[in-house]
Amino acid sequence: MLLLLEDEHKEHLEFLTSVDLEVVKEFCRIAMEFIRKGPNLKVYHTAAQKLDVNAEAVQHVVEGLMYLLTECAKLMISEIDFQDSIMTLGFQEDLKQQLVQFYLENRKEIRAILCKMSMDLPHYHNLEWRLDVQLASRSLRHHITPIVTMKLHTGDCETKEVTVLQTDAVNLLHLTQTLQQALDEMKSSHCRRIVRNINK
Amino acid sequence: MELSVEALGGLQLCGDSAHVSDKAFIVLVRRVCDNLLKDSTDTSVLDDEGLSNVDRAVLKLCFASLVTLVLEAAKHDSDASTISTILEDCKFTADRIDILNKIFISKKPEIQALLSNIGHTPPHIVDVDWRLDFYLKNNHVDKVNEPVYMVTLKTEEGGQEETKDVQFACSMEQLQDLVGKLKDACKNLEKASQL
Repeated sequence: MLLLLEDEHKEHLEFLTSVDLEVVKEFCRIAMEFIRKGPNLKVYHTAAQKLDVNAEAVQHVVEGLMYLLTECAKLMISEIDFQDSIMTLGFQEDLKQQLVQFYLENRKEIRAILCKMSMDLPHYHNLEWRLDVQLASRSLRHHITPIVTMKLHTGDCETKEVTVLQTDAVNLLHLTQTLQQALDEMKSSHCRRIVRNINK
Repeated sequence: MELSVEALGGLQLCGDSAHVSDKAFIVLVRRVCDNLLKDSTDTSVLDDEGLSNVDRAVLKLCFASLVTLVLEAAKHDSDASTISTILEDCKFTADRIDILNKIFISKKPEIQALLSNIGHTPPHIVDVDWRLDFYLKNNHVDKVNEPVYMVTLKTEEGGQEETKDVQFACSMEQLQDLVGKLKDACKNLEKASQL
């Protein structure tokens, strides 16, 4: 799969052909910082002063790189497709290699950052359990009821939630068996076939 | 099992056939158990035809003391002989003691189940639903491609009939972790039951 670059985007990236490879490296680093922590205008100004160009050009090229990297990482574009996608920019071989290298090195981290941004449902984190035998209560003495008390930890990126639950032996067994069936379902031929076809 | 002076007084009245006839006694004991188990709440005990020839004030006292006796006996899991001893002290005839014991022993498990529901407990898991999705992509990331399980635990609280849901999602690894821990709990429960 190729990424089609828009003309405006190409224009912004063209600036890279006019600077040293070392500077390109620095721009890549700044673009990566952008992805990690958001924009830093002060860095643009310093870079612009050093290169003696206006800050807007620096901002455009950093944002252009950032967009290129995130879009490619989002689509999980392969090394070859990445090379072909930036071919239209008419970069020299060493500059192209530099970008490919940087993309491959950082793809995993960018995807992790993107994953963190995505909508998430409360997820399972941990389960603690303990076994009690209830012996008596105010309203009923002399009984022996085994109870499994559980603490279920769930949450998404920001919130953590703890739910205290309990169950008896029969229901615990039922719960375990049902969830084991759920796990086994993933190994069924139906699921395997679908997953294989999607992963193609 | 200890009963208050008031309850014992009521029982003495109840055992006296001059106040409560044999027929009315059977009806009364049945009503006591049914009322506790909420089997018949449509009519009040005072309106029961089978109890119409019992004096109102006596009926109230008898009913209250029988309820006390039944609840205390269920609470302490008393057997027929313990109850007999108390009733004998209250001048019950052997017939009446038999009748009460018979009705009470047959209803005891239900009454104890009712009593065990009193008090605070965490939500009790009674069932579980699951759904298996394959997560493809979202607006930020393409080709996520991983299975996601949606698990819904159905819980009951405080003897209410309605169930409440506890929902969460988990990946394959997380579900494996969960099932592993549950299996561990099952195993330990089994071990403990063999002690």
